[in-house]
Amino acid sequence: MTLARSATFRLVALVGLGFALATLAIGIIAFEATHEALELQLDHRIAIETQALLDEGSDGPEGIAAAIRRREAASTSASLGYRLVGPTGQTVAGALDAAVPHTPGYVELLPYSAHGEQRIAQSLTTALPGGYRLLVAADRGAIDAMDQGLLGLFLGAFGALLILGIAAAWAVGAVTHRRLARIDQTARAIIGGDFSRRVVLSGKGDEFDRVGETINLMLDRIGKLMENLRQVSSDVAHDLRTPLTRLLNRLDDAMHERCATRQHTAIAAAAHEAAELLEVFSALLRIAEVEGLAAQARFQRIDLSHAVSDVAEAFRPAIEAGGRQLFADIEPDVALHGDRRLLQQMLTNLLDNAVQHTPKGTVVRIRLRQSGDVIRLAVVDDGPGAGENQGQGLFDRFVRVDRSRSSPGHGLGLAMVSAIAAAHAADARISPPPGFGVHFAFTGSAERAAL
Amino acid sequence: MRILIVEDDADTSRYIARSLMELGHQVASSSDGRDALFQATEGTFDAMVIDRMLPGLDGLALVKALRAADNTTPVLMLTALDGIADRVEGLDSGADDYLVKPFAFSELAARVHALGRRPATTSEQAHLCVGDIVLDPYRRAVTRGGHKVALQPREFAVLAELMRHAGRIVTRTMLLERVWDFHFDPRTNIVETHVSRLRSKLNAGFDRDPIETVRGAGYLMRDAP
Repeated sequence: MTLARSATFRLVALVGLGFALATLAIGIIAFEATHEALELQLDHRIAIETQALLDEGSDGPEGIAAAIRRREAASTSASLGYRLVGPTGQTVAGALDAAVPHTPGYVELLPYSAHGEQRIAQSLTTALPGGYRLLVAADRGAIDAMDQGLLGLFLGAFGALLILGIAAAWAVGAVTHRRLARIDQTARAIIGGDFSRRVVLSGKGDEFDRVGETINLMLDRIGKLMENLRQVSSDVAHDLRTPLTRLLNRLDDAMHERCATRQHTAIAAAAHEAAELLEVFSALLRIAEVEGLAAQARFQRIDLSHAVSDVAEAFRPAIEAGGRQLFADIEPDVALHGDRRLLQQMLTNLLDNAVQHTPKGTVVRIRLRQSGDVIRLAVVDDGPGAGENQGQGLFDRFVRVDRSRSSPGHGLGLAMVSAIAAAHAADARISPPPGFGVHFAFTGSAERAAL
Repeated sequence: MRILIVEDDADTSRYIARSLMELGHQVASSSDGRDALFQATEGTFDAMVIDRMLPGLDGLALVKALRAADNTTPVLMLTALDGIADRVEGLDSGADDYLVKPFAFSELAARVHALGRRPATTSEQAHLCVGDIVLDPYRRAVTRGGHKVALQPREFAVLAELMRHAGRIVTRTMLLERVWDFHFDPRTNIVETHVSRLRSKLNAGFDRDPIETVRGAGYLMRDAP
């Protein structure tokens, strides 16, 4: 990126140029105004002086000549020059070395000489009775000096602003370029395949850092989603390969089996494998649907107490028939903003696990409590737990406790539980041994249900 | 029963038609939504099995069109879409029941039968009688041979569902959906354990078990022993 193509450089340079041009315009206006004012002032002075001479010499040209001589002798007004000429053009009085114009009135630029030097004066010629003419002139040196001063000042300012503007544009452009380059480099590194790269922050907390932070957060989120997707694809590849191979083997067996009874058994086994596979697919799709958060569109206020006790009562006979005990401690009238069916499926998965993976005599407890804005739900048993693996990792797809590998299931139950909890913005935790328990804390959903 | 099958996959359509005919039904089939709309309007059917994804006019639109034309023939919708939203949409369109592919034929047959004889207007107040069992939905009371049988609410609901479909198979998933409103399949046999409790309460002091277990299909209550 060259500097000239930098938007920031062009913008700041344009602003700089704008300021410089504005200064120039102000300068021209100020110059004109000052110039005019000074000329008017000079005209005014000449007019007053002329009137004064006429007043003093009211008795005729001789009087005026005397007045001129008095002034020149006193040299009170060094900047003013006088000349009185007679009807024939002869000088009567006054030392001003300039030709007296024949027509009365103001002459702005009257050349004259003083001390052997050609100069310019502003003058007023007045016609007197008897063909006399009186010339009063003031040197324009002051105006010229002022003009030059102003001109220099404004041109200087214009130049300085122009340089300053370009310098500022260059500096801002360079800084922006440098900071953006970091983001650019990160993006390019990621395009190049290094997804671990993040935008380097300056630590100043400025707007660039904020954008960088947001981009980093976005990258983290995308990273998680990608990791998730990668995990799922590899899980699917791995965990479906085994049952598909089994299915193929059983069909192969059936094909080569001559005994009709055994052939039928093999086909039934193959059909069972196929059904299992479909179940895994269906579970994966459901998890993906819930994780996609589309379920939230259908969320509404539900009576959680009712939903939880429905599931508990549905399981009670099965749990008791297996020689286990179920204790449901459910606070009534707990409302939640959510999806009843999903929450019931979540509890079902947990109770399924309790029924499948605990020995006789196990006590299963379901507890629902609301304290303020927090709703706590827990499904806990005092069974053998998941051993060393007992931790949040059990919420991942296809993760199964080694002990339970032999029992039916696909390791998707807790992944679904985790996805449903996440869709409800609930914090889900697996409690440490002894026993096995999953604890949920719903926060936002309770508030929304209260509205 | 006269049944119209609307399914664009020829294999599936043939399989369903053949199996239903084996059960003694008359079957007509269509593979296109518009054609199905025409057939359904022209002919009289006792039930329709409609696939959700169809060429021409999809299943949802077809059912909506039928209902808009005051056609009240019961509809069982078939679909490969297993999402929760899909199910809601399917039932909202006016379908009476919803079955996700793949399905066991016994499940389809049970559901078609349940549709076919569904009375036009279900009077909830009417007593249900099967053999010596009388169920009063209004008072939530059950008697067998004149003796009162005390049941838990879900046991009562299971019995009511079985009696309402007396003579026909009610599958495990139908009970899960209608009694518990569970649209997923728990691995725990909650239906079996409820039926078992219901049986022990219902059969106390009687020899005959009115609830027949049909292996691999569901449960059945017969009108006459």
